[in-house]
Amino acid sequence: MERSLQKQLIEAFLFLKEEPAKLSAIAELLDVTVEEARALIAELQADLDGAARGIRIYEVAGGFQMGTRPELAPYLEAALGEEESGSLSQAAMETLAIIAYKQPVTRMEIESVRGVKCDHVLENLLKRKLIRISGRKEGPGRPLIYTTSPEFLKYFGLKDLNDLPPLSKNQAPEAGEEKAGSEGQKPVPEEQ
Amino acid sequence: MHEAGYTIKLPVFEGPFDLLFHLIKKAEVDIWSVSLAEITEQYLAYLQSMKELNLDIASEFLVMAATLLRLKSKLLLPRPPKPEPDEEEEELFNINSAEELFNRLEEYRLFKETALLLKEKEAEQQKIYLRSTGGQKMMVISRQQSYYFFWEGPHLLSEIMRSLAEAAAAAAMQPTIDTIDDFPVADKLASIYDLLRRSGKALPLSAFIRSNQLWELITTFIALLELARRRKVLLFQERPFGRILVAVNQDKLKEQEDGA
Repeated sequence: MERSLQKQLIEAFLFLKEEPAKLSAIAELLDVTVEEARALIAELQADLDGAARGIRIYEVAGGFQMGTRPELAPYLEAALGEEESGSLSQAAMETLAIIAYKQPVTRMEIESVRGVKCDHVLENLLKRKLIRISGRKEGPGRPLIYTTSPEFLKYFGLKDLNDLPPLSKNQAPEAGEEKAGSEGQKPVPEEQ
Repeated sequence: MHEAGYTIKLPVFEGPFDLLFHLIKKAEVDIWSVSLAEITEQYLAYLQSMKELNLDIASEFLVMAATLLRLKSKLLLPRPPKPEPDEEEEELFNINSAEELFNRLEEYRLFKETALLLKEKEAEQQKIYLRSTGGQKMMVISRQQSYYFFWEGPHLLSEIMRSLAEAAAAAAMQPTIDTIDDFPVADKLASIYDLLRRSGKALPLSAFIRSNQLWELITTFIALLELARRRKVLLFQERPFGRILVAVNQDKLKEQEDGA
């Protein structure tokens, strides 16, 4: 099969797919290895970029999916009207962060980190499909356990869970230092 | 509140940890060098100001206040020879030392900051519209409080049509109602148990139903419940919502034979 035809096929396939298409599925479609498929996708991506097209290919949630260019967002927003249900609240973000990094995790475990009840937040995250109940934990009460969903990866534009920003202790200057080493510098006070 | 000539802006806190974290930051000290007494005082002062402004104080904030006071009083008292078993403790804050408290705060801070990183990712991603055909997804909430999503499209319609047709067919199957004596539960019970023992394996429910008559269904159902209650049979499923299988409870059987 000619290379240009292969790329056309990928473009058409991704156009049809509503969910991220797995690399293996694309390779199977073209009857090539996954490495070749990946190279072809990269080439197609370059073609799309070079031709100043309105769409790109995004690698999200373990697959490839077509999407609009970020630069077009302001225009599209106006044209589409208020769509989706908006950004997540701080409470939802904190809860989601705990689930993302500690999963599978129970409600009690989440609440113990946040220090507040989380049932409503969890309810909303479930409704938005960003998390899901993946079973029950063995032990007293057999509590439900929560994990993130593929929708979560799409929502944040992540390839997979390894693509999450690292949860590192030295991001914050004021508390990440060793216990003794912090006399010299003072963190900038934050005005709320 | 228009009688006040000015507005007071109180930051909104996501919970007691968030508030404590804010107070520590305001004090411009390291989490580890904060004095518990000082932070407790500030915490209580904040709650007081919330009260004066007639704000609802979530119970978690009060529990944390109690926890702080308990920790503080512990510092003042001579240590008991051995830690007494804790009385009924609110599990949310099972915190027994200042160090534990600061450990928990530190963990909270970690996720609070990561949440900010995710927020940035969200903003980035919200500029991108991933391909969608604009179909509506339908959500069904089951009684178990779990959520299922179905793609609303042509095949959903055909599914609805099919289930309607099935319901209509079921309605058409008029059961003849005989007198209850025709199907005594005890007979059914014995026949089910006999069938199970002879077959020597687990059988699906359908194996016991001999006709589609209403009383047959009812007596089979009651007989099975009764057998299960007497622990003579075991009921199980290979997966959630799977078919129900019935098997002889071998332990019970052995018990009976031994007893006999």
